[in-house]
Amino acid sequence: MKNIAVFGYNRLSFEAISRLDKELYQITVIDHDPIKAALARENGFETANIDFRSDDDLKLIGIGAHIDTLFCFFDTDSENVFLTLSARALDKELNIVAIVDSPESAEKLIAAGANKIIDPYEICGRKIHDMLKRPDINDIFDHTVFGRHDLHLAEVTIPENSYLENAHVAQLHLSSQYNLILIGIVNKQVSEQLHFVVEEFDRRLSVGDILVILGPSREIRAFKKDVENEFCKI
Amino acid sequence: MLAKLIVYCAYYLKSADWYRKAKLFFYDLLENSHSRKKKYFDATMIGLLILSVIFLIYDIEHEDSKMGGYFELAILMVFIVEYCLRGWIYSDTYKVIIEEYEKALYLNLDFNLLGVFRKAFVRDMEYISSPFAIIDILAILPSYRPLAILRIFIIFRLFKLFRYSNSAKLFADALASKRFELMTLLIFTCFLVFIASVSIYMFEYQALGSGIHNLFDAFYWTIVTLATVGFGDITPQTTGGRWVTIFLILASLGVLSFFTSILIAAFSEKMLSVCETRTYAELDRYDSFIIICGFGRVGQEIARHLHNDRQKFLIIDRVPARIELAKKRGYLAIESDASNNEVLINAGICRGASAILCITGDDVINVYVTLTSRHLNKNLRIISRANRHDNVNKLYQAGADNVIRPFEIAGLLAAEFVGQPVAFEAISGILHNQTETVMESVLVSEKSPLDNQQIGQLDLQQRKLTLLGVISDNPIHLKHKNKYQVKQQHFYFNPEVDFILRHGDMLVLLGRKYGIDHFRDQVEQRRLFSRKPK
Repeated sequence: MKNIAVFGYNRLSFEAISRLDKELYQITVIDHDPIKAALARENGFETANIDFRSDDDLKLIGIGAHIDTLFCFFDTDSENVFLTLSARALDKELNIVAIVDSPESAEKLIAAGANKIIDPYEICGRKIHDMLKRPDINDIFDHTVFGRHDLHLAEVTIPENSYLENAHVAQLHLSSQYNLILIGIVNKQVSEQLHFVVEEFDRRLSVGDILVILGPSREIRAFKKDVENEFCKI
Repeated sequence: MLAKLIVYCAYYLKSADWYRKAKLFFYDLLENSHSRKKKYFDATMIGLLILSVIFLIYDIEHEDSKMGGYFELAILMVFIVEYCLRGWIYSDTYKVIIEEYEKALYLNLDFNLLGVFRKAFVRDMEYISSPFAIIDILAILPSYRPLAILRIFIIFRLFKLFRYSNSAKLFADALASKRFELMTLLIFTCFLVFIASVSIYMFEYQALGSGIHNLFDAFYWTIVTLATVGFGDITPQTTGGRWVTIFLILASLGVLSFFTSILIAAFSEKMLSVCETRTYAELDRYDSFIIICGFGRVGQEIARHLHNDRQKFLIIDRVPARIELAKKRGYLAIESDASNNEVLINAGICRGASAILCITGDDVINVYVTLTSRHLNKNLRIISRANRHDNVNKLYQAGADNVIRPFEIAGLLAAEFVGQPVAFEAISGILHNQTETVMESVLVSEKSPLDNQQIGQLDLQQRKLTLLGVISDNPIHLKHKNKYQVKQQHFYFNPEVDFILRHGDMLVLLGRKYGIDHFRDQVEQRRLFSRKPK
């Protein structure tokens, strides 16, 4: 179970929270506007009434302790920068996701220690551009991966003693065995970069490699289960 | 008998294809401001006009030059033909004849040929008395020898320039828009001139050494002084005359500054529409472009991408500061309200626009612009932005093809990022072309070597391509599993090796950009090659 603290309750955070699996994530919503906090409570989210400007209050809800991820979703950039800075000082390992309103603030948020910056306007603009340029591919992704159809992206880390250890990529045959498509592999120890599978057929898998796969959720679950099972045969 | 022949001719012309085509051709050439032919024609005419005036000036010094005479004749012919053609396009006499004939037939009256001619004549007179036609005739008449006295009027030909250039028209329009102010000023100036002329005449007429000997001298002096020119050839000699001068100089300062301010106001008001006209004129040259309504953050982002793609687009926004920003970045932009039908029509929504993006921050405006655009053009692609979830359906109802919700997409990405950061970065990299690997679709066209081929035979692995699936609306594929409905089509995810492709299908491939391009080129080459022997 992962713990997420969401600062700022608005359309964006509502959408993000409702996309997260309630069984895997423990979510706490914090907003200094009492009306918004009440709305969040009404929608069934756990809320906390604290002042984000105070480090003690932040510690109180578990930053620096059990909180793994922090969403800085306040409407103003200055508040997000302040919160990011305070949280980063409390916890070096915290995963901080922040939204940005004006593009100049993105650099400030990175400097303050955010891991991921989300610019809704930029994303939206890029998305519309994509709709114009490649309507068919965009439609597929909207309806499947980002939509309601059962087709998902997933990442599977190869654990120790897995049957996949030292296997060749070409031996995997995910598409015939599981109805999954392997898109790429990331080796975290070397770099964050994704190696697309089309160019890596003769590569050997090692422990810690992350496979990025696409397919229906049932198949993903089956594959994940088999990966962890050391007695499974290719 | 004659009447019958005329009616027969009228019907013949109505049904004649060549006649219609000829008329359309000349309409495009002379009147249709959107046609390219007219632009070339106008440029030629302007050249001819200037040449003819140059010859006129040359003739003044060299009276017996022959070349000038021939050239003059040629130009004259062109002008006469142009004048007649315009008259021909202006009126459709055969239509008048048919209309009258059918009316007579219906009411069981005699067909009155004279009445018809009268009507046709009235219509012709309408053309002849229009301002441009008068200018045209003034450009022709001075060349007629018996009217040699009119030769000076050849300079009137330059007025014809008005016909061929929009800027001159704009100048006239600017002045016309201030008609009331200018009229007031003119009346006041007339009074001033009258009073000043009469008073200086009264004081100076008999004065010693005065230059004013009659009323015209007084009038001349008044105008020279009023215009602040003051040659000094006539100066007031009496005290009374000097008082009149002081009064006139002070008043003329007011008149002149008032006149200048009217002109400046008129032009600065017109400036906006001058810019707009220029923007529209530039748009006219493009066959396909995108209209962006709203140049906020989203609009700026899209414009940046489209600009990089060298795709043409037009920005419409109501906020002057944003338009200024757009122009600074070198984009085509109009400061206007996109919910106005006229603005959208001028922007070419029915002509060259391939898509319109309604992406302002206000849902009310987005819905309204969507509705207006759909009403104006049924086939246009409309992408709208919904800032509130409740308005998504309204936008679809208004006729949007796609509705996008910025905050929800961002929220979704945030959630994806938390759950699966690696997969998220991978897919967003592919989708946004940030990596060398891209996702693209390849169409199976008719007679393509891919048609009727099994997926297993494509040898995609050798080409370093990954097939994600096939998009198709062909019902023949419906028996396959893993299908996902996407609009009117199906997406067949991870198709089996024995999946047979049909024309119209689209392969969704993942691979290096040049790998996919190469594959596409090969397929296309083989298709063309296989067709040649036939």
